[in-house]
Amino acid sequence: MLNYCGKDHRFSFRLELSMTAKWVRERIERYREAVNRLELFDCSLWLGYPEGFPLARELQLDELKKEMENHNIKGGLVSHWLGNTLSAQAGNKVLLARSPMFKAHMYSIWTGLPLYPTDAPPLPGMGTPDKCMRGVRIFPSSHNFILEDWVIGSLCEWLLLHNLPLFVWHTEVTWTSLHRLALRYPNLIIILETQTKKILYHTRVLFALMRECPNIYIETSNFVGSGYIEHTVHEFGAQRLIFGSFLPVNDPFVAIGMIIDSEIHENDKKLIASGNLKRIIREVAI
Amino acid sequence: MVDSLGIVDAHVHIDPNSRFYTPTPGFIDLLRQMDSLRVQYALCTDHHSLYAGAAAGLAELRKVFEISQGRIYYLGVYDPRKSHECLKAMKSALSWPGFAGIKIHPSFHRIPAEAPSYRAMWEFAAEHGLAVLTHSWSISTHNPDQRYSTPKRFERYIEEFKNVRTVLAHAGGRGNGRAEIIRLLNTYENVYTDIAGDIYCLGLIESLVRSTSSHKILFGSDFPWLDPRSNLARVFLEDVSANVKEKILRSNALYVYQLDKEKV
Repeated sequence: MLNYCGKDHRFSFRLELSMTAKWVRERIERYREAVNRLELFDCSLWLGYPEGFPLARELQLDELKKEMENHNIKGGLVSHWLGNTLSAQAGNKVLLARSPMFKAHMYSIWTGLPLYPTDAPPLPGMGTPDKCMRGVRIFPSSHNFILEDWVIGSLCEWLLLHNLPLFVWHTEVTWTSLHRLALRYPNLIIILETQTKKILYHTRVLFALMRECPNIYIETSNFVGSGYIEHTVHEFGAQRLIFGSFLPVNDPFVAIGMIIDSEIHENDKKLIASGNLKRIIREVAI
Repeated sequence: MVDSLGIVDAHVHIDPNSRFYTPTPGFIDLLRQMDSLRVQYALCTDHHSLYAGAAAGLAELRKVFEISQGRIYYLGVYDPRKSHECLKAMKSALSWPGFAGIKIHPSFHRIPAEAPSYRAMWEFAAEHGLAVLTHSWSISTHNPDQRYSTPKRFERYIEEFKNVRTVLAHAGGRGNGRAEIIRLLNTYENVYTDIAGDIYCLGLIESLVRSTSSHKILFGSDFPWLDPRSNLARVFLEDVSANVKEKILRSNALYVYQLDKEKV
């Protein structure tokens, strides 16, 4: 029937292609329908130059919106790389300037610093939060502070006052300090992000941390080890997972595919894709 | 049960590796997931062989192939530090059902890909018509050993052994290795790449298809390091034609590893 030998293989596949393209088309349709059902709401949308990812390209706001449409992401939380690479204030200023151009259901995550000693504004922890702010991210390692109550406690108190979640990359903290902080502030929602290196090598600690601290949630853009979604849902419940794409560094279909094909209840998929984060930001008091 | 026509996952491993936790590392877990995702065949290297060479794992892999009813094909690992032992084991496996090629991992074995100690493996592959799957990556500040597997290091052997179908895995990684891979794909008829691993770059599939011939790209997952679901949906959902997707998901791997040969 077919001949896989020799240089003419590209042509010898034509017969098989005519038979198989149908199953490919059917799967494409199935995936598209599944994506449409999810109403994706993304906690990891980024503006600015993605430092450390040489193949990634900086997206302008209009381009980011376009990519969101391309991947059927209905809304989410936008951050700026400058908040990590240059200064918290630089990132926050850009977000302040861009947020009037956000489309509906787009909000911002500001970068935070310890409240003492007092840095120049704009920073979270100073007065009323910006009306578009739905979370605060800290970079303890990059910004040279530690995740201890006597350093970061006053910011945590301010976050609790406004029901704002705290975001942090796993690469920016030590596991013991995160554990201590989560226990010290059990009502503070901490969304642990799986970037910017593999969290795979730390998942024994991660799952132990999740068992100990119900206020730790996991962002999913790099939560890609075999069976992790099912394991988490089974052990801790679907409410502990928050969809994040890490756009434009990552292809959102990676994190989307992990949800679509997971062997969990359809309602749990919806919680992970959007419900959990929407619930969290509904509670934000500004 | 899967369709008679389905996906080929051209890059998987089996068994626990204590560097990371996964609840589902075994071949039964792999088979269950293959059923769930309608993956018909997989190309497998076991972790034991990566550490100890082909002699350590081939017999077990043959059993896996048989228990899987011919769905989990396997590769023999060539460790250049144990050349004679590895080639001897693979020579025995030449007549075994399911033996589909050779795997090398210069970063893991810390021997640069162009080293003379790989020559015997290339000669063996050429003599027996076997495909070679190799780890390839970009220079990495996180993992300095990746320098042993940058794509251009393979070129001297690729050029010399033009009848050996060679798969440079992971699309060259997430840095300069990508451009090197594209050059090699476009220069040599016998070079292919797979998308296994966490090469989650935005628009990867579209970019590869634009940069090289679509018959050069294979779907792979790197199970159980990574969940196949992280790479599968993007192939179906990215903006390339259904026929190209079929090649990436199936036909290209069938050709490169000569799967289904008995049925042809």
